[in-house]
Amino acid sequence: MKFLFRKQRQVQILVERYLEHLRLAQQNFSQAIASCLDGDARDDFMILADETHRFESKADDVREEIKTLMYSKVLLPESRGDIMGLLEAIDQIPRFFEVVLNIIRTQKLAIPDLIVSDVRELVRVSMETCDLMITQVEDLLQRGGRIPELLNVIDEKESQCDVIERRIMNTIFDSDIDPFLKIQLKELVIFLGEISDQADRVSKRINIISLKRRV
Amino acid sequence: MFSIVGGVFLGWSLGANDASNVIGPAVSSRMLRFSTAASMASLFVLMGALLQGRSGIHTLSSLTEMTLHQAVLVSISAGITVTLMTIVSLPVSTSQAVVGAILGVGFVNRYVDLTGLGKVVTSWVGTPVGGAIMSIVIYRTLATVNNRLRLNFLERDVLLRIGLVAAGSYGAFALGANNVANVTAVFVGAGHLSITTATLVGGLSIGLGILTFSKRVMETVGSRLVRLDPFSALVVLLAEAVTVHFYTFVGVPVSTSQAVIGAIIGIGLLKGIQTVSARTLLSILSGWILTPLIAAALVVAMQKI
Repeated sequence: MKFLFRKQRQVQILVERYLEHLRLAQQNFSQAIASCLDGDARDDFMILADETHRFESKADDVREEIKTLMYSKVLLPESRGDIMGLLEAIDQIPRFFEVVLNIIRTQKLAIPDLIVSDVRELVRVSMETCDLMITQVEDLLQRGGRIPELLNVIDEKESQCDVIERRIMNTIFDSDIDPFLKIQLKELVIFLGEISDQADRVSKRINIISLKRRV
Repeated sequence: MFSIVGGVFLGWSLGANDASNVIGPAVSSRMLRFSTAASMASLFVLMGALLQGRSGIHTLSSLTEMTLHQAVLVSISAGITVTLMTIVSLPVSTSQAVVGAILGVGFVNRYVDLTGLGKVVTSWVGTPVGGAIMSIVIYRTLATVNNRLRLNFLERDVLLRIGLVAAGSYGAFALGANNVANVTAVFVGAGHLSITTATLVGGLSIGLGILTFSKRVMETVGSRLVRLDPFSALVVLLAEAVTVHFYTFVGVPVSTSQAVIGAIIGIGLLKGIQTVSARTLLSILSGWILTPLIAAALVVAMQKI
């Protein structure tokens, strides 16, 4: 039977490789934010931000490889569309990593102490949401038994992130920090919040892909 | 030999119109490329005609008595009718066109075998109903298997592709076995061809029609009536093939168009009637009513000229 699924296995391996790069981009992003919040040497932050970008680019390359392989008629058009749509949706997440890191880097933003713990909490829950989403993609490539259960957990985490995001916004605008800094921080927090929002959108898309195949 | 050109023309138009019923769902759900599907279908049509095409020829050749001249007119008028319907993209029944034309000849000759006619006309109702019932049964069975197998979606993809190719081949085989009678039975009845030659000529001409002129009707069958996902496409093909093959054993040439439309309606009923386009369905039904009438009128007119 294995020869029948040879090309499909190739797609599966490439998607797993894509997820591995995403995971590494995520780790570097998380450490870069931690370094920024801890007030460590700026060089550390720069290195970690560059690493995040490097793994995001590698993930992009793998995505292109998957696209080329699939358009050589490996899968049914419907499945091709589903996989490409899914990868494009996932790809928004490392894009948000980069946006957040670029905001900090180019605007030389220092996170004020009054929101550090909440930002740390927001990043932690967002990363958990991403981890769960990656597990959900892996489950889709296996048998898909845990997809609905993971969908619910991701949805809860995303709501949790929304609550933290609102709390940070309130803290920022209730404080007497410089109004220009308030605007900068608002932008940063919005993009941080987008990470879990996007993971939730991807999770819902995975659920639909799975449901479409149950008849 | 020139006289069988009418039969070849009818076979060609049958292939052009009915190929959509065996490969339409697979092609319009973009599972198979048209050229691949058409070549495969032509081959299996020929095999079906040669191996199991005899019983239908017996039934149709006994409907009325006719001369070779009248047999040619039957073929030509049925061929023109089916071609007209193909041009307006309606999947019609070649069996109805042929029977309509034979009845036109019977009307002129004042002789029709009513027993055989009853069997044929009953099948016109039985075929779409049978297609619908088969599709509901097959859908439920395959759905249970699909949900129990718990394949990942990449593996399911492969199995669906294999299933569609297999079902399309079986459908083409059933089409050849059942419908070859529509093409050449009148020449057997007129004593102009042996049954073996009739199955060969019929099978080849249907295959030619599939290869050269079948793409248009495919759009109506595959995508306009109901949006088919690959799984439903497989069910439709299997239901159509089983229904038509069943009538091959009964010895009645039936319409693959009616079987496939019945099967698609069956899927529509399972998924909710709102997925079936009433407008398209009505135009298809009117095509089925008009087909035998036009063919009969044409053959009568030709005989008068």
